Amino acid sequence: MDKKTVRTIAHLSRLTFDEKNEEKITNDLNNIIKFVDQLNDAETSDIEPLTSPLEKVARTRPDNVTAENRKEAFLKNAPLSNEDYILVPRVVE
Amino acid sequence: MLQKKEISNKEMVEDTFTLIESNKHLNAFVTLNKEVSLKKAENLDNNPSNLPLAGIPIAQKDLFCTKDLRTTCGSNMLSNFIPPYSATVIENLESAGCISIGKTNMDEFAMGSSNETSFFGNVENPWGEGLVPGGSSGGSASAVAAGIVAAASGTDTGGSIRQPASLCGITGLKPTYGRISRWGMIAFASSLDQAGPMARTAEDCALMLNEMCSHDPKDTTSLDENIPDFTQNLNSSIKGMKIGLVKEFDLSKLDNDVVKVFEESKRHYESLGAEFIEISLPNISLSVPTYYVVAPAECSSNLSRFDGVKFGRRCENPKDLEDLYVRSRSEGFGDEVKRRILIGSYVLSAGFYDAYYKKAQQVRRLIKNDFVSAFEKVDVIMSPTTRGTAFKAGSMGSDPIQMYLEDLFTIPANLAGLPAMSVPNGIVDNKPVGMQLIGNFLEESKILQAAHSFQTSTDWHLKTPNGDIS
Repeated sequence: MDKKTVRTIAHLSRLTFDEKNEEKITNDLNNIIKFVDQLNDAETSDIEPLTSPLEKVARTRPDNVTAENRKEAFLKNAPLSNEDYILVPRVVE
Repeated sequence: MLQKKEISNKEMVEDTFTLIESNKHLNAFVTLNKEVSLKKAENLDNNPSNLPLAGIPIAQKDLFCTKDLRTTCGSNMLSNFIPPYSATVIENLESAGCISIGKTNMDEFAMGSSNETSFFGNVENPWGEGLVPGGSSGGSASAVAAGIVAAASGTDTGGSIRQPASLCGITGLKPTYGRISRWGMIAFASSLDQAGPMARTAEDCALMLNEMCSHDPKDTTSLDENIPDFTQNLNSSIKGMKIGLVKEFDLSKLDNDVVKVFEESKRHYESLGAEFIEISLPNISLSVPTYYVVAPAECSSNLSRFDGVKFGRRCENPKDLEDLYVRSRSEGFGDEVKRRILIGSYVLSAGFYDAYYKKAQQVRRLIKNDFVSAFEKVDVIMSPTTRGTAFKAGSMGSDPIQMYLEDLFTIPANLAGLPAMSVPNGIVDNKPVGMQLIGNFLEESKILQAAHSFQTSTDWHLKTPNGDIS
């Protein structure tokens, strides 16, 4: 993993860091990837991936309205809002 | 004491806050819930209740959403977050009469094994100055070990209940995946996360577990299985119980004295009538690498919700939406969290998905299959919980992998979804040591029974940094 790859995945993750940290992060990530490369020792050609220990089909529930409108409670946690909406910088000019 | 009315509910809660104050140096709490707790206690004094845990002060890990009480997950990102609802497990405990006296410090977003990644500073282990309590449920473990509370909630994704329990000399249990609802738990790795109790004894853990478990329609992974009374089998004899020892766990690399403690516990179990059988888990050595693909992948996805828009921290004066996302996240998250998000994005990205994420999930199945075969031969599996005792803060150096290996013995149970607990079983260099008991699916009762029989015939769980509890 080179610095260019690290910049790409940082962009995908919407993260940024100063240049002086770039070296250390690249190093750490390379060490971790080298560590997890041990997985190649396992023979897995016919093995179905295990996504969850339960392996059960997710249940559905009747489509009834159970939640109440709690606009005020939720807007209270928004960093910036008006009476009805959460606000972000203008996206469409 | 509460039941005998030797102390009022209010006095009990007041005493708890006095203990929090006198143990302030431990930094075990992030937010206190004093006013509400005192009010609840007063109500209980005026209207006595028959609820199973009426009036018991409980410390809640700051990863559970608590309505109207700040919930930070140990992160700057959520340093001002006040949830509009409570986690199901918090509701369950409070419905049983518990008083949530405060929120405990933890590694940021539960990512760490020493409580050194918290935005709110390190937690100290009451067993020694500068010693880490383990992590990520370090505040909960420290608070129980110091005797501030009788019990606390924790969560365990790769060992975050059991490892700090071991390092602080208390008992902690991670139930079967799905036993306790994850609704309202701030997600780290959804296929691994599970809440559980931390307390002095296995019996107290069983009492807590009775109230924490429920089938919750709001969590699609919540198990719709019969929930037994976990205290029912505590006193059954373990004569004839088959305990498995994992051939592949190389104990020769551990501290000699820690191994001696483990051998002593084995002999003790033999004296109680248990039988030891060697089992093989051929793929167990790949547990940590598997975990460090699966957990970061799920974390990078889960933590994408923290974008500075709807709740949590937002950067100052964003110049556009992209800048708002990037700076809010970069300023809000600490180094370890960023590292794991980056690893997750990498292993999930096009071109690497099959080589890492899919491969890790395939190995995860192999590890689970190994356990399924092993449990055909044994009732429980026993190992040390950790490689050693509590270490000094800062002593792990800057290589993250050294810290990752701290969870060598605990991660496999999370990958397979099995219940597992840590039980104090000795003291080395004046610091506690724990052993791990892993059970088969839904067999929390069996590991609790094994732990209880150990605790009723030894006194390691009664040792505290301030002397023995009588």
